[in-house]
Amino acid sequence: MFGRGEAERLRRSLESERERREAADEEVVRLRAVFTASPVGMVLTDRQGKPMLRNPAATIAGHTRILVDEALEPLLDAATAGRSAERRLELVGPPPRVLVLRAIPLIGGGALAVIDDLSDRARLDAVRTDFVANISHELKTPVGALALLAETVAEHDDPEVMRRLAAKMVEEAHRAAGTIDDLLELSRIELGGDAVSEPVDTAMVVKDAVERATLAAERRHITVVVDAAEAPVVIGDHLQLVSALVNLIDNAVKYSGEGLTVTVSARRAGRWVELAVSDHGVGIAAKDLDRIFERFYRVDRARSRETGGTGLGLAIVRHVANNHGGEVSVQSREGEGSVFTLRIPADESAKSIAEEGND
Amino acid sequence: MEELRKLFHQDLAVARDQLVRLAAWVTELIPRVTEVLLEGDLEGAELIIAADAELDRRAVEAEEHCIQILALQTPVAGELRQVVALLKMIAEVERSGDLACSICKATRRMNGHPMDPKLKGLITRMSEQAQALYRAAIEAFVDNDPVKAAELDDMDAILDALQKQLLQAVAESHKAGLTDLAVAMQMAVVARFYERIGDHAVNIAERVRFIVTGWLPDHQKSARSVVDPDSVGWAT
Repeated sequence: MFGRGEAERLRRSLESERERREAADEEVVRLRAVFTASPVGMVLTDRQGKPMLRNPAATIAGHTRILVDEALEPLLDAATAGRSAERRLELVGPPPRVLVLRAIPLIGGGALAVIDDLSDRARLDAVRTDFVANISHELKTPVGALALLAETVAEHDDPEVMRRLAAKMVEEAHRAAGTIDDLLELSRIELGGDAVSEPVDTAMVVKDAVERATLAAERRHITVVVDAAEAPVVIGDHLQLVSALVNLIDNAVKYSGEGLTVTVSARRAGRWVELAVSDHGVGIAAKDLDRIFERFYRVDRARSRETGGTGLGLAIVRHVANNHGGEVSVQSREGEGSVFTLRIPADESAKSIAEEGND
Repeated sequence: MEELRKLFHQDLAVARDQLVRLAAWVTELIPRVTEVLLEGDLEGAELIIAADAELDRRAVEAEEHCIQILALQTPVAGELRQVVALLKMIAEVERSGDLACSICKATRRMNGHPMDPKLKGLITRMSEQAQALYRAAIEAFVDNDPVKAAELDDMDAILDALQKQLLQAVAESHKAGLTDLAVAMQMAVVARFYERIGDHAVNIAERVRFIVTGWLPDHQKSARSVVDPDSVGWAT
């Protein structure tokens, strides 16, 4: 039998053990919560290197998961043997992914694999790199052409040749001026400083936009069909909306074959008002669809001089959509045509957004 | 005996995993070769063709593993069906990889020729549908789901219809002077490659149904094709 003092010591020891165990359990719960909440994908292995725990960020859907797990295997083997290992994995998907997989040995055995999803960063890098290349192309091409034409003019006395070259120079100067005008407009819309917020009749937006695009359409014998019988009212800036719609109609006309039809429609869809421009033109390849709203992005740079434009039109449309609390989307198939939809909150929603903004 | 069964199930899990990995590879390959084709990316085409040797090596390894299971574990009934079906499915996946390479080789043959955007659009749709078939086949296999497997027939009908549309578009494009005869012929062949990839996915799905239910559409087809030898003059 225990003495009284001994029993007390035992009780205290048990109590302290219980507290230690509770603290350890609490720590496990908290560590597990951190593991689960981590935005970085993590896979934890047992001491033999067999995956035993995977957090939600490492849970990838579809066949991609199989390929990622396969790529992780040799890295985890190396880490279980005490060596860190790393590999970059680029997958087409869809969705396309750029992943960096790292496996590190853990003290006490086993390994931790970290899956870093660089897809967004890789896309932003591509946007930045292409932007610099594209802006140089758009601005340098007409300036270079002007310099060359001017040099040629200086070397010729024949009035006929000089007249022809001068006409070319005017064309190139207009092209450079067009790019600068669009850049200024884009900058103005981006800043949104002088944006007006008033009730706008979308039927009038469609009418004004179609009028501005009529000449270009007639030149290519393209019929512009308007379907705006139930065009609702939105809160916004009439001029910006017309500018956005003109850009969409211009593109539809440019990339449609002669004699085809372009349809411009305005309708209410739930809490949105949709202004849509559809064509039966060349369409856009799936790989370009995510990037066409970037400034100066060209689907086919080789054809950009042939089709004209500055490469800023769709960037302007996207900013107009953003300024109105809306969005622009595109559905397209190569060879079948495209549908661009500018979605703006309908009157009531726009009011509530404006009120939220004032708060 | 218990130990033997445990070993069999471990071996079977490895064989199933080998097939899933091969099929995932092909699923990833389909949009990759389409990008190569549409962009005329010769370097990408060469890389994919070179990588096919690795796919073949792993298919052989998976087949050998199945044969080893047959030889050493002598499975029967449902277990035998699984191993035999796996052997067939590995061949389907390996052949699909070859077809993806054939698309890369067609890219080489079309080098320098522009492609009509309408044909590009239809190729993209065929590629998406073929990939959807492969993805569904893997899911049906992993989940042992005969209902999901049965859905592939309808998905394949869409791919077949797209092939017909593409062939029609190729003929029209050639007639309109937008596509050279050589390119038109290659495009017709490419359409067939995507359609065949879809067929291989359907065959995988049929084997999933076979594993679970013991039923194979081939049995039905053979039953239908039994004819009276007298009626065709074969009787001796």
